Amino acid sequence: MTLPILELRSISKFFPGIVALDKVSFDVYSGEVHMLLGENGAGKSTLMKVLCGAYQADGGEIYHQGQPVQIHHPGDARNLGIAVIFQEFSLVPYLNIAQNIFLGREYSGSIPGTLDHSRMHQEAKHWLRVLSLDIDTHTLVHTLGVAQQQMVEIAKALSQDAKILVMDEPTAALSDRETTLLFEMIRKLQSEGVAIIYISHRMAEVFSMGDRITVLRDGKQVGSADPKTTTPDELVQMMVGRRVDMAYARNFQSQPGRVALKLSHLCSENGIEDISLEVREGEIVGLAGLVGAGRTEVARATFGVDKVSSGTVEIFGKNRTGEPFQSVDMGLALIPESRKTEGLALIRSVEENIILSGLNKIFPSSWINNRKVQQISEDLIRKLRIATPSGKQSTQLLSGGNQQKIVIGKWLTTDSKIFIFDEPTRGIDVGAKAEIFALIYKLVEDGAAVLMISSELSEIVNVCDKAYVMREGKISGLLEKEALNEENILKLGMTDA
Amino acid sequence: MLNTTLNEGFTIFPTLKRIPGVALMLFACMLVFSILNADFLSVPNLMNIGVQSTILLMISLPMTLVIMAEGIDMSIGALLTFCGVIAAYFLALTHNLPLAICMAILVGLVIGIVNGAIIVYLNMPPFVVTLGMLGICQSLALIVTDGQTISDVGNTIGLAYTGNFLGIPLPIYFAIVSYVVIHILLYHTRFGTYVFAIGGNRDALKLAGVRVNLHHIAIYALSGMMAGLASILLTARMNSGHPTAAIGMEFDAIAAVIVGGTSFEKGNGWLFGTFLGVITVGVLRNGLNLIGVQSSIQVASIGLLVLVALLLDSFKSKA
Repeated sequence: MTLPILELRSISKFFPGIVALDKVSFDVYSGEVHMLLGENGAGKSTLMKVLCGAYQADGGEIYHQGQPVQIHHPGDARNLGIAVIFQEFSLVPYLNIAQNIFLGREYSGSIPGTLDHSRMHQEAKHWLRVLSLDIDTHTLVHTLGVAQQQMVEIAKALSQDAKILVMDEPTAALSDRETTLLFEMIRKLQSEGVAIIYISHRMAEVFSMGDRITVLRDGKQVGSADPKTTTPDELVQMMVGRRVDMAYARNFQSQPGRVALKLSHLCSENGIEDISLEVREGEIVGLAGLVGAGRTEVARATFGVDKVSSGTVEIFGKNRTGEPFQSVDMGLALIPESRKTEGLALIRSVEENIILSGLNKIFPSSWINNRKVQQISEDLIRKLRIATPSGKQSTQLLSGGNQQKIVIGKWLTTDSKIFIFDEPTRGIDVGAKAEIFALIYKLVEDGAAVLMISSELSEIVNVCDKAYVMREGKISGLLEKEALNEENILKLGMTDA
Repeated sequence: MLNTTLNEGFTIFPTLKRIPGVALMLFACMLVFSILNADFLSVPNLMNIGVQSTILLMISLPMTLVIMAEGIDMSIGALLTFCGVIAAYFLALTHNLPLAICMAILVGLVIGIVNGAIIVYLNMPPFVVTLGMLGICQSLALIVTDGQTISDVGNTIGLAYTGNFLGIPLPIYFAIVSYVVIHILLYHTRFGTYVFAIGGNRDALKLAGVRVNLHHIAIYALSGMMAGLASILLTARMNSGHPTAAIGMEFDAIAAVIVGGTSFEKGNGWLFGTFLGVITVGVLRNGLNLIGVQSSIQVASIGLLVLVALLLDSFKSKA
């Protein structure tokens, strides 16, 4: 019996507060395409980074053709014949195509210390031709489109003559023609005995290309499946699992009122197209989809951070135009995804942060009354149950849940009527999650309209009245009532499902 | 308004758009000065501009690499001064020119490595680290000279600045060799490729299995070493070691790099642009001298040059 070319045994990886990989075992044989499937945050990318040496596993062993090996840094991975096609491009913008393809393994020229540019361009040209890409190899990479950059990325991996090729959603940025080409390449490599680990969100790919499927969920290996005997529905079941985490189930009926926020055929240069949706007062509307589907971009365009190229944003029937501060004046509030970089001034105190958005409303004359600041912030700290020794505490010392409460609290002083939450519970533990949702429910009960972006399917299903699902910059469907379940969200969120 | 006129200009002369802003400005400066002063375009004066620009060129070339790697070297003027003083000090002490040259280069190299190591290993912002080093070097220069000028440097070192070979002043050779060497380093070696990559996508370079830290430090080492080399010309020019000789020169160097079209982001740099930027700064200083403008106003003119260069390039990218 042949040995797998690469085998991972109970690999674990921890980040502060999170178990990213929990004893995952995984193997791949020469000439095999092994599909890796899972929701956002299931641990696929972490596993891949362990493989390529970007991360060190905190536990477990790696075997190469039966021999135990260590992958301490990317050089080790390369020596084992592992090449990776990254999802976030690993290209250097102001180097040309050939320089990028050979980055880190340049050919030396005849004069010591110099490079053999002509040989690199020649070989680069060969790989571009293999991929039917008709671009001059002297082109600087930053002038290429996304699809072309992805093809260069693929050429880079192919040129390494890898024995194990890892691909992280390689077709995400490609057109059909390029995808077909890539699949032909994969078939060819497979017949030459290359082992391929393929991470995908697209069901059609998983079934047409895969020899074996492994599903990850919450950092754990849920199971493996044979594409010949499995149905897409079964796979979705495995990805979703059953959850008992219902601490934040809602306990009230919403009573939708007037239309508060209405987007009509909204397009923006940030990549979203033809977005139409409605959020009413007293209603929580979800915006689901995969990471990169354009959900955050919808929030940014709605708020006026990114420029709207066509379509309209109406707030209580009035057109929103201009800069974010004008959106705030109209009653819009955005609780951004990355609270540390966009939501908080981390080194400043709780007091200063919580009062920031409301300064205009509370002190119209621009003169700040410190006693009033203290009063209002203490009031909010109590109301939101922010665990902090005092209002003077620097926000960076607080937990994620308390930081998030401050970001929400910022908007309570502004009389906002419409709240957009972008991943409100990311990196927050279960207890704090329940409190954050209690806050959101309170807002809604008081008549606010809420649009909530979340990658956690169970949140969308349990918290929202209805949910729009996005895919590749567009809205792919609206789910209401019984139709609002995890399976349907996944199906709408994935291409070709 | 300026915007629209410029845009129209670029549509009427589409080729104008492809010419880098720095070349346009150099041309404009030379045109103006040649009209205002008949001597400006004479061969001796042009040669003079070249000679006067050499020291600036020698520190601006490595500064280009530093800025491409998303860094900055604020210490370069003070380091240049300190190395110059070191050269003068060892000349006065031993009258051994090769030893003095080696010591100056060595000191530059060591301080460059210290800059780089602190920035890379302690993960400190380059601006702060090199600003601190600026203060240290300035102080060291004063300590070594005891605040005085070291004038007992003999007669040989001065020849490096005033000497001729085949009718061309020696500093011009320094300039040519420096340019060629750094051009080859940047465009024809691994190190150069990695300079682009450190600024453009440091993670990608790390994932490519390259020892990024060493190359990153090497950029600052190069900067320091070139300051050591340039300090020989500085000491030669003044025929003495002066503790404030090149204080503030980092301003000219950074200005020349920016005017030359190198950006602080994404590893977007252009070495020949830096050359043009240095010449533009030199032309500006020389021309203003010729038409009798006070030196206090010359600094402002360089500041203005930077602003105009940036405006020009941003209009062109929009046009």
